[in-house]
Amino acid sequence: MKHVLRTAAVVLAIGLATTAAAACSPPGKDSTNTGNNSGPIKIAVVDAQSGQLSSLGAWELKGARLAADEWNKAGGINGRQIQLNVYDDQGDPTVGTNLAHKISSEGNIAMLGTAESAVTIAMAPILQQDQIPNITSGQSPGLVAVKSPFLFLNGPTSTTYDETLVRYLVDKKGFKRIAMVTNNGSFGKGEHDAFTKSLSSRSVTPIADQVVTTDQKEFSSALTTIRQQNPEVIFLGAEEVQSGLIVKQARDLGVTAPFAGAAPQGTPVFLNTAGAANCEAIIVSSPYLSNDVSEATRKFAAAYKAAFNEDAELHGAKAYDGAQILFTALKNSKVATGKALADAIRATKYQGLLGNFAYDDTGVGIYNTSIGTITNGKLVAVS
Amino acid sequence: MQVFVQTFIGGLSLGAIYALVAMGFSLVYRTMGLVNFAHGNVVMIGAYLVSTFYLTLALPFALAVIIAMLVTGLIGVVIERVLRPLENKDFDLMLIGTIGFGIVLEALAIIIWGATGTAVRNPVPVAPLNILGIRIRTYDLVVLTIAALATVMLALFLQRTKRGAAMQAVAMDHEAATAVGIHVGRSNAIAFAIGAGLAALAGGLVGPLLYVSPAMGGSLGIKGFAGAILGGFGSIPGAIIGGLAIGVLDSFTAGHFQGYSELVTFLVFTVVIMIRPTGIFGERTVNRA
Repeated sequence: MKHVLRTAAVVLAIGLATTAAAACSPPGKDSTNTGNNSGPIKIAVVDAQSGQLSSLGAWELKGARLAADEWNKAGGINGRQIQLNVYDDQGDPTVGTNLAHKISSEGNIAMLGTAESAVTIAMAPILQQDQIPNITSGQSPGLVAVKSPFLFLNGPTSTTYDETLVRYLVDKKGFKRIAMVTNNGSFGKGEHDAFTKSLSSRSVTPIADQVVTTDQKEFSSALTTIRQQNPEVIFLGAEEVQSGLIVKQARDLGVTAPFAGAAPQGTPVFLNTAGAANCEAIIVSSPYLSNDVSEATRKFAAAYKAAFNEDAELHGAKAYDGAQILFTALKNSKVATGKALADAIRATKYQGLLGNFAYDDTGVGIYNTSIGTITNGKLVAVS
Repeated sequence: MQVFVQTFIGGLSLGAIYALVAMGFSLVYRTMGLVNFAHGNVVMIGAYLVSTFYLTLALPFALAVIIAMLVTGLIGVVIERVLRPLENKDFDLMLIGTIGFGIVLEALAIIIWGATGTAVRNPVPVAPLNILGIRIRTYDLVVLTIAALATVMLALFLQRTKRGAAMQAVAMDHEAATAVGIHVGRSNAIAFAIGAGLAALAGGLVGPLLYVSPAMGGSLGIKGFAGAILGGFGSIPGAIIGGLAIGVLDSFTAGHFQGYSELVTFLVFTVVIMIRPTGIFGERTVNRA
């Protein structure tokens, strides 16, 4: 009896594990209402809610929730409430493709996310086949290369981020000795290609081009090589945590050159990982430099703070804009689905937190970023 | 030459962490013949506990690490207690049980601390030493010293104490050990507790080097496990050498092969294991499956 009980305890542990795993899995329960004219409007929010990229997922979800709550409080769309169904892709393209099959079968008529370009690219063909419009937070030029009429971006691509950055570094500051550290993931590769393309258009060749793996945590070799080249600035193309580790280790190794990069370098996770003192004078290209840019950003930041008790940042703002564009398109199209909804998104002109959105055939709706530097632990616009 | 030395030093620091993780794997394996797949997640729980005690409760870093080691030691005892009835009966279910515990621990961490993770500030905020252009972080020296001390203490415990000798006896022949009155279950529980304590030590030390998140146990666990295998699974000196070797190897492959470094690291690992399947120290203490 005792043995049976204890064996049951093991089975219980595994059962708990399964339950826990299920807690991180798609919460969509029933498969009714695929764009019916009654009941809530189901929107899938797909992002990493676990794993190393979960900070992105958490911010994205908060931005989308804030927008949905605003619309629901104002009566919803055509009298119907918006229901966000949260799916955890774990930042993994394989998990993403599995989820893509569930999106339409579980009654969702559109998708917000993901923040990881590789996951979005993996999901895109299935979503296109199922005619599910998707507003992603990814920024890789690879998203445009997919050429899906159902795929839209809620921000600029890396090409815009890095062209703005190179314009500042090379044209304005006159830097010629530029080193690079990028990772070999979809984001890092997109950044690498976009940055080198902008450099080569100005006939500048990087003096060091170090590529690290997405899982790498020790960068002595790459950073010592860069230190020996004595660069004027170091371009960084990696996600928040890894960027923070690279900057922290670089300063420990005596690398004094400023770093420059795109969106991840302006986030709280990056600042905390690198240590605020190590981040001084880092140059950032971002479409959302701070919560204090305009009346709209201040209002958004206040609502975000009230709802989640934390300061808003770029990813939450992007997701908020993406959700607002989707809900506006749903309203304008009287809750259309499939291709009609995709066309409605493309036709939507929206004045958002990141700027004025007007989508073209590539699915990109905005083409500008601004340059800021980190000063006293805060991202401040360069005049 | 400067790049070579700096790369070597950089690899040693993480290698010391892998060595601590590998020691936990090996200690449980040599005592029970079991690979504890939850070990990487225990490292993660240890890292979170240390960060909570150190950052939230503002305890001194050393005290935070000691408390975390005690708490994770208890977690180790609980895991062993649940698995104990299966020992010598259903090895596969024991393995699956450890995997289940690992998933439960990760889910618990997400529930308690959230999925986002946290950065841990350096408890030794002293500028790096600069010796002939080679930069040595003071915290790396702390990590290496503590890892060395932990190794010495574990070796003394196993060789000089009655309880340690009993564990050695169980590792060699658990039936004979039982016959002479050694409580095998208690020995196993102690092995699990010490293994989990070492995991917390590794997690606590690695926090300021990396970033504490629910997913951090995965790669640390795999590298630590590879270190244990490389050194000779079940061998404590092997775990130390293997862990350090994986850290240094990883650091050099990153320098030479950049984006393909993980591939090359594990290719080298595979070749070494093919040439010497029992690892560097060639110990194969138990196999009760």
